Amino acid sequence: MPKLLVVIPAFNEETNIVPVVENLIENYPQFDYVVVNDGSRDHTAAICREHGYRLIDLPINLGLAGAFQTGLRYAAENGYDCALQFDADGQHLPQFIQPMLDEIEEGADIVIGSRFVNVKKPRTLRMVGSYLISWAIRLTTGKAICDPTSGMRMFNRRMLEEFSTNLNYGPEPDTISYLIKNGAVVKELQVEMGERMSGSSYLNFARSVEYMIKMGLSILFIQWFRKRDTQTPYLERSL
Amino acid sequence: MANYSLAFRLMLILGSLLTVLFMIRRIRHSKIQIEDSIFWFLFSGFLLVLSIFPQLASLAAKALGLQAPINVVYLSIIFLLIIKQFFMTLRISQLDSKLKIVTQKVALNEEKIERKSQDD
Repeated sequence: MPKLLVVIPAFNEETNIVPVVENLIENYPQFDYVVVNDGSRDHTAAICREHGYRLIDLPINLGLAGAFQTGLRYAAENGYDCALQFDADGQHLPQFIQPMLDEIEEGADIVIGSRFVNVKKPRTLRMVGSYLISWAIRLTTGKAICDPTSGMRMFNRRMLEEFSTNLNYGPEPDTISYLIKNGAVVKELQVEMGERMSGSSYLNFARSVEYMIKMGLSILFIQWFRKRDTQTPYLERSL
Repeated sequence: MANYSLAFRLMLILGSLLTVLFMIRRIRHSKIQIEDSIFWFLFSGFLLVLSIFPQLASLAAKALGLQAPINVVYLSIIFLLIIKQFFMTLRISQLDSKLKIVTQKVALNEEKIERKSQDD
């Protein structure tokens, strides 16, 4: 079985982090995990230390992309075969890790834990952004990604090396679209997601609009001009 | 009220295209993060719109009681750049304090390691 690292970026998740990590430790001890505390202002780091969780404690807030990249660098430097992006708020359910891992073993570069492969995407205001991004990816790559904004994504060794050292490799739909265009094999697997246990979502209306403008411009326009460097091997880059 | 000249419109188009070209080159060589380039793409889009539809500037000039449409162009560019400047000041200030925190953290950790190795 490939060696998997579950990367759990956490920003102000003191109420959710314990049940999420305890569930992993008790029911899925075969998977390694690491919590990346993204400069939280609450007691997330203290709670992780108290429970003896494996923790990378960032001294400042880097944002999701920076925090997740830290986890991927950790995975790359410690010889993991693949890595999973896993939310600290209880939305992602660990029973779907093994099926996603099977897809990686069958040759996928990226596996997205998707809510809408067999389930119809609801036509609600919240999903407008998701529809638009799906449409943009389809237009530019010809490939249907049913749930582009799902935060549950698994990456194989090649991808995690590429993600861990490069600029503009945020764990976002525009990177996915760029990689599809460059021949990466992206698979979607139907999963269920829970409700976040407590706390409020980071996205408000203004942030959503900003996010959509960024993703729209990035997927429809900017990604055409990027140049990919996969020639330099990981070890040489990190020296 | 006379619109601005064709030469000026061509200049706006040129400025807009050069901005886009410059940003794309930076992205291509991984010299800038995509989120930081977004403002400049929107900005050049705005210049392009003003150069293609000078009627928009005329309308705005009438509404604001300005003498010539070209003043709308100047005013809006200055306004956008000042806003950008404002947010850049905020960002630099935050970066500055973050750098301080990280530097202190590194130095404190270093001291901890040195003290441990001296004790051993």
